[in-house]
Amino acid sequence: MILAMKAPSLILALVLFATAVRGQEWLDKLDGQLTIKSRNGFFRSDLSGLLDLEGYYVDQRPPGLLFENESFFNPRLTFFLDTRFGPHFYSFVQARLDRGFDPGETDFDARLDEYLLRWTPWNDSRLNLQIGKFATVVGSWVQRHDSWQNPLITAPLPYENLTPLADGDPPRSAADLLARRHVPDVKTEWLPIIWGPVYASGASVFGSLGKLDYALDVKNASISSHPYAWEPNGNLWEYPTASVRLGFRPSPAWNHGISFSAGPYMTTDASAALPPGKSIGDYNEFVFDYDVSYAWHRWQWWGEVFLTRFQVPNVGNADLVGYYLEAKYKITASLFAAARWNQELYGMINHGLGGQEPWGNDMYRIDLALGYRLTRHLQGKVQYSFGHREAALQQGEQLVAAQVTMRF
Amino acid sequence: MYRWKDIKIALFGLLLLSGHLCCGQAVIEGKVTLPKGQPMDTPPPRYAGQVGEIAAPDPPVAVVYLEGQFPKGAPAVDSGTNAVLQQGMQFRPAVLPVQVGTAVVFPNGDDFYHNVFSYSKPKRFDLGRYRKSDRPPVEVFDKPGVVKLYCEIHQHMRGIILVLDTPYFVRTDTNGLYRLQGLPAGRFLLKAWVDEQHVYEKPVELEPGQHLNVDFDKK
Repeated sequence: MILAMKAPSLILALVLFATAVRGQEWLDKLDGQLTIKSRNGFFRSDLSGLLDLEGYYVDQRPPGLLFENESFFNPRLTFFLDTRFGPHFYSFVQARLDRGFDPGETDFDARLDEYLLRWTPWNDSRLNLQIGKFATVVGSWVQRHDSWQNPLITAPLPYENLTPLADGDPPRSAADLLARRHVPDVKTEWLPIIWGPVYASGASVFGSLGKLDYALDVKNASISSHPYAWEPNGNLWEYPTASVRLGFRPSPAWNHGISFSAGPYMTTDASAALPPGKSIGDYNEFVFDYDVSYAWHRWQWWGEVFLTRFQVPNVGNADLVGYYLEAKYKITASLFAAARWNQELYGMINHGLGGQEPWGNDMYRIDLALGYRLTRHLQGKVQYSFGHREAALQQGEQLVAAQVTMRF
Repeated sequence: MYRWKDIKIALFGLLLLSGHLCCGQAVIEGKVTLPKGQPMDTPPPRYAGQVGEIAAPDPPVAVVYLEGQFPKGAPAVDSGTNAVLQQGMQFRPAVLPVQVGTAVVFPNGDDFYHNVFSYSKPKRFDLGRYRKSDRPPVEVFDKPGVVKLYCEIHQHMRGIILVLDTPYFVRTDTNGLYRLQGLPAGRFLLKAWVDEQHVYEKPVELEPGQHLNVDFDKK
């Protein structure tokens, strides 16, 4: 069955590979042709995109936000539409055809992942106001999260590893929450610290003042929320999440940022199971994040640490620390290697019998990748990951993934 | 008292000099019709935290060069400093013609990083990230052809290094005017490179000391 699925995928990948290698000039020309603009230059719209062909091989239930239960193939076609209306208005749309927002979630899906309208009152970037459905301001991974810029294939652990907390099913007791450590992840219900780029709906203010960057957004869903909660018709408008990031660039090499986010993380489905007199607005996710990056010649380094607190019904505060350190090194003009060390450490909660236990399974994971850029439009990557949980139950200890990306 | 041998040498030198002045190297000048410059309308960054002010790109220019069999020891035309500066998130100059074997430096003139690279067939390289204060990287261009320059960080940046197998070339000014001088006598092909889709050529026959006018337009 897997072989039957892999054969056409392999053929498709080879066709794509050959087409893109031989068609570099054609793709270069296409770059300039996917643009429409008015004669006076007031209006300009640019279409671009990414075609990803990914394969995942797992030895157990897949880790993180991989939704299949066995090895699988995951194609993804992404379109980006950047449009300018004069010097002060800009809109951006990201549309995707794939197997769900996260790999293997369904057989086929077509969505508008991002759409926004931005007003920039001045001619510089000191102030931007934006509304729509767009990526979070928290952290630094968002700016390099697409398949072309991410040197690995998967996201860092805090962006995809699920905690035992669910958005619609609060634990009845501490024992109920602790028992979830011994069952496989319920991926349709449980929440990570931050769900990928978090394309939730709302408004944002951001800009740059010299070496300082600032950004603030108010969204309809917490940064840990499921993609289905990000839609503007989601039911959390009455319980918004606010996030802020302050960045400092002391030199071209260094970039520091601190982010803070606060907001309810449960949906109204959880209301009936809450203690009497409580609403989902009483249970928030608080995240403090420090991000740092450094680059020099062929090296690029990134790191983030998330200090997270979930206010959990019938339990109290559940704390969690997640972090990663990632490096990319360009071996040649085309070949690069990347490595990422990830870890999540769970805080203690009272288990109700006079003692304390961690409310989740501590985990570490190392991701290693090799990538090759054949042309400005074609890139291939392979990744090996080894992860381990401090528990009898393991999930996807080993993962091998491959990805071919064509950019146009 | 001058010796006869010294006088012969002096007379021979004068003869050579007079020959050079009256019927020496040829000159070609003219005008290349250039495309209209595009207004600077790069889309703004998609996400918060990606910043920078983008300057206008260089206006379009063409490169005019002579191809053919040249006499041995043909002097190279002085093409000035071979450098491609990154400034205001643009390559300057946007088009740099060089002779095969020429070294080009890539200084960063901005207060933030650039990462110049090219995957063109004549030269494949990636300079990595370096600061304004760093010693600029140098690349030697040893194969003729068009080398397209990009920046990994600023995707709108475009530059060209035109590596030519001839010592006789010149870049036009922004009006398309050029003057190619110090040319040898003989039959050659005069080419005007406007962009990859528009390369014009005209055969020319040069006499010593000749002054030729050759224009290129899109017709």
